[in-house]
Amino acid sequence: MKILLIEDDVETSAYVKRGLVEAGHVVDVASDGRDGLFMGSEGTYDVMVVDRMLPRMDGLSAVKVMRAAGTTTPVLFLTAMAGVGDRVAGLKAGGDDYLAKPFAFAELLARVEALARRPPLAPETVMLRVGDLVVDRLTRTVKRGDSEIELQPREFKLLEFLIRHAGQLVTRTMLLEGVWDYHFDPKTNVVETHISRLRSKLTAGGRADVIETIRGSGYLLRAPPTAA
Amino acid sequence: MRLPRLLRAASFRLATFYVALFVGSFGLLGAIAYAMTLDSMENVLRKRIETEHTLLQHEYSDGGIDQVLRVVRERQRGALAGGLDYGVFDPSGTRIIGAVPFVHLAPGWTEVADDPDGDERPGQPEILLLNLALLPNGDWLAIGDDLNPARDLAAAMLGRFGWVIGLAVTLAIGGGIVLSNAFLRRVDNINRTAEAIIAGDLRSRIPVGTAGDDMDRLATTLNRMLDQIAALMESLRHAGNDIAHDLRTPLSRLRQRLDAARHPTDTAEYRYAIDGAIAEADALLDTFGALLRIAQVEAGTVRAAFAPLNLVALVDDVCSTFAPVAEDSGRSLQWTSGPAAYVRGDRELLVQLLVNLIENGLRHTQTGTTVRVTLSADAERVQMNVADDGPGIPVHEHHNVLQRFHRLEAARTTPGNGLGLSLVTAIATAHEARLVLGDAHPGLRVTIFFAAAPQPAPASSQHTTAALASNAAT
Repeated sequence: MKILLIEDDVETSAYVKRGLVEAGHVVDVASDGRDGLFMGSEGTYDVMVVDRMLPRMDGLSAVKVMRAAGTTTPVLFLTAMAGVGDRVAGLKAGGDDYLAKPFAFAELLARVEALARRPPLAPETVMLRVGDLVVDRLTRTVKRGDSEIELQPREFKLLEFLIRHAGQLVTRTMLLEGVWDYHFDPKTNVVETHISRLRSKLTAGGRADVIETIRGSGYLLRAPPTAA
Repeated sequence: MRLPRLLRAASFRLATFYVALFVGSFGLLGAIAYAMTLDSMENVLRKRIETEHTLLQHEYSDGGIDQVLRVVRERQRGALAGGLDYGVFDPSGTRIIGAVPFVHLAPGWTEVADDPDGDERPGQPEILLLNLALLPNGDWLAIGDDLNPARDLAAAMLGRFGWVIGLAVTLAIGGGIVLSNAFLRRVDNINRTAEAIIAGDLRSRIPVGTAGDDMDRLATTLNRMLDQIAALMESLRHAGNDIAHDLRTPLSRLRQRLDAARHPTDTAEYRYAIDGAIAEADALLDTFGALLRIAQVEAGTVRAAFAPLNLVALVDDVCSTFAPVAEDSGRSLQWTSGPAAYVRGDRELLVQLLVNLIENGLRHTQTGTTVRVTLSADAERVQMNVADDGPGIPVHEHHNVLQRFHRLEAARTTPGNGLGLSLVTAIATAHEARLVLGDAHPGLRVTIFFAAAPQPAPASSQHTTAALASNAAT
């Protein structure tokens, strides 16, 4: 995957670049907003990782200009500002995801890969299927094989999120943001608890576990979904 | 240096303005009085002279010019006319009788200067007001009177006016100075206090008088403002101290772990030390994140995004997420649903507030504890309660636990940074909600009082209302 990293802090960009390269990606680095804008506008990248505060042109403006010019490359904003308004401003400017500094590299990697492989899921896609697991987004029912599985609304949302990111590592924070819309870190095991409930419902009757726990990082739904 | 300041004083300028206004109006009054006095006294003179003319015309009808001359002579001699002056001239202008100076012979009124007769101010001529009339035989009869007494009286009156004005100005200026001085002294008091505070004496306060007037009210308000600022600064100083104190421990632990990592005996130990150091660093960053979040909420900029939201739905949403968490930890979370209760606020912040309170109830209590979230609402306010039947917080600690970094002895062993309730307080304050800690007998009860917001009307129901209203109108 070809990734453009627009970041002026040398240590951060070296740290991020090394990690991404180790994960098998190709990384170009721009150290200010103007360069980032020129490189990003070529449209040859799969994902852009953009710092909010940059010399010559801030990240927000650079992305705004790129979006206005028709560049659709997914953007992950990095920021030292984690305020509510900042996140909204970032998403409004055309960012697809938002990560506050400091971050664990695993978190960044998971988000970059999620952005790049974001499945082109049309809103009208009703049936999602993973192996013998079938999710009907319209009637909000879940079937495994022939038996219907009763899920709480939140568990349904959790499963839907996992299926949409099937085959990708999904971090705890991504789940908190995507499923609960929580942009803070709860002190209790909210995600673990709900994953474990979902898992036990899905594996009822001795069926195979489809949710893999990646220790210290997050969760992975194994098989890719197939639209029915 | 005292005088120019005095002249610049607002009260002095006000006094000066009043004096000018007073002098102006009094002067105008004096001028009018002068003119009116003079006019009425001249009128009296004219009347007397006209009457005398009529009398002498009668004498002429009775006995001709000789009779007139005789009467005039008699009057001059006996001064019977009360000081009137007479003169009779033949048509050529030659004086036949009388003491009035030669004048141009024409009928009507004229004024003429005469030799002083003793009642004038030194060097001033006598001014005669003369009336000339043609007698039937062609001679001219002039009758006049001294204008000076009238003019002197009016002038004397004007003089008195002048004196009064002078006295008034003196009094006004004196009063102005006294008033301004009193005012300046009080302004000086405020100034001195401000200077003292600038110089570093933050406890200095403006002396407040006993009169309870504007200046006293101003002083009281300023003092209250100073108290508030002092309290804020004190809390800031405390926060600074607390941060310094509270970060020392994790920073030294971080240092110890890194130090240990320098001399590992094997790779596992090395990893363990590094992992520990990262965990410490994460905890520190977490603390800073929480502090920044509190600061951001306290700055109040979050209010721009406030909108009406249904607290019942929010409680339902959060509690349904945390009920399994409570259950897994051997505790129980119960909540009540009810009719919608709207407040104005930021959803994300209110969710965090409730999550913090619920998590406090789950983390600082023994297993078997029940946490209850209840809402009650009336037209004015919405009250949210989060109560547990755990160990509770002693009443004397209620105030302290809301402070940054304050942790109860019992909570020292639980991970946490002592900022959770500070954030809850900051969020409640940003929502202009009141937070009260109470005893749930047993356990802790946290109550938050919000002002109720009107339910936002969806577009369709507005249409219905409008339709109903128009139906009612027809």
